[in-house]
Amino acid sequence: MGLFDFLFGASGKIKNLEAQLRVRPTPQLYLQLADAYKESGNMQKAAQILKLGVSRFPSAPEISRRQAEAEKVERENEKRRLTDKIQTHPNPILYARLAELYKADAEIEKTIQICQAGIKAFPKYGGTYLVLGQIYIEKQKWDEALSQLEKSVELDKYNYMALKLLAQVYMQVGRPADAARKLEDILYFAPGDEAILELLKKAREAAGVPTAAPADQSQISREAAISGGRRAVDGTSPNRKTIMVGRLADQKAGTATSMRDKALNDGIASLRGVEGVHGAILVDQFGLVVAANLDATIDEGLAGALITNVYRTASGNSVKLGVGNFEEGVIEGESGNVHIVQFGDMILAVFAATNVKMGLLEKTIRDFSMAVQERH
Amino acid sequence: MRAILTQLNKVQGVRGSMVINRDGIVVAGEFADDVNEQGIGAVASSLLTALDGAVKRINLGRMTRFVLTGNENKAVIVDTGPALLFVLLQRDTNMGLVNVEIRDAAKQVVEQAKM
Repeated sequence: MGLFDFLFGASGKIKNLEAQLRVRPTPQLYLQLADAYKESGNMQKAAQILKLGVSRFPSAPEISRRQAEAEKVERENEKRRLTDKIQTHPNPILYARLAELYKADAEIEKTIQICQAGIKAFPKYGGTYLVLGQIYIEKQKWDEALSQLEKSVELDKYNYMALKLLAQVYMQVGRPADAARKLEDILYFAPGDEAILELLKKAREAAGVPTAAPADQSQISREAAISGGRRAVDGTSPNRKTIMVGRLADQKAGTATSMRDKALNDGIASLRGVEGVHGAILVDQFGLVVAANLDATIDEGLAGALITNVYRTASGNSVKLGVGNFEEGVIEGESGNVHIVQFGDMILAVFAATNVKMGLLEKTIRDFSMAVQERH
Repeated sequence: MRAILTQLNKVQGVRGSMVINRDGIVVAGEFADDVNEQGIGAVASSLLTALDGAVKRINLGRMTRFVLTGNENKAVIVDTGPALLFVLLQRDTNMGLVNVEIRDAAKQVVEQAKM
């Protein structure tokens, strides 16, 4: 191989394959491109390409096999990183994420063990109960699943997955009316969700409730109405409300926040400093709020649930819309915008006025992202 | 409709565009590459319905536009009222310039839909 080939061969090959993929994508081209990235030493990009290939061609066996292998390697690396971090800066999200990884590898006993350790250390975090509930569903231990999922929902009333699974378990144990109530709760923050509407129809039929009953009479919507009314009566001013990441861990273990947690808190605060920004919120993969800086009039739990739902909808459809894997979305409404950005394994949402300086906001988000990555 | 899309597709960075009715059915489409127009139409329509509900819940009024950036391309879905305008763009497109053209095209789509 000549010097020119050594220097430019890999990048030229990648560019050529990317151009071919844009015109006429095939499973074989995705495999070749992943291999080219692998050869150039960019393992992360190779894994991304395989993931994209599988989402485009879910029935192509070779690309599915290769992607599963790449994911397994990624999971093992992530398990090591999380285990180390739990030792130094424990927080409940780390336990839930680690348990999820063991669950993905079908290491059930290890998953249960990690969930139990997480619950013991951080009993007020709903995500760990959710993972445990999923395990019991897989084992068809309905009573145990019910107890874990009810606890998860009690701690986080806006958790889409926990509410959905709880409704499904209620159906399994012959409590369709309870299932319908939980599904109605989901529709409050995921209006028009077709999968939930379908489940709700079945639950109402089983419970003997008219299927055309309004879906917006859930417990959550009643509570929101009461809370909104109380605020109006009290005349409470829309003060700023801040949730700091690492707070739970600090209270429990008395440890200092990590550099990364500090970067998250600082980043959220800096976004709030941009003129026209009404608030920023960072949620984890379970829809739980990690850090937030919002007006007091905004319920951070509801905002987190809405954002997670929007993210799920947008990212689930991004490949079908021809843009590849989701990176960023901007929803523009008549009286404001929401910027949603993939932030590693979290989702960042920024609420802004229509006249916000987009360039400045995007730069602040980019700076925030880089600061977090540097401290990862 | 096709003339509006042909004009829009001449703008630097635009890879294709289409007009979809509110039920997700393609009215007209013009793309440089081989894409599944019907699939995109159905997905764009259901996505906009879901996002509109969420936007109203956050008290941002009616949803007007959604800009989606992926690791390959960028997409803009504009709710023109009677129809949706879908525009597929290169990922690194200068949005400042394209926004003006997309807004003009959306206005023309509204005019055409009235006829």
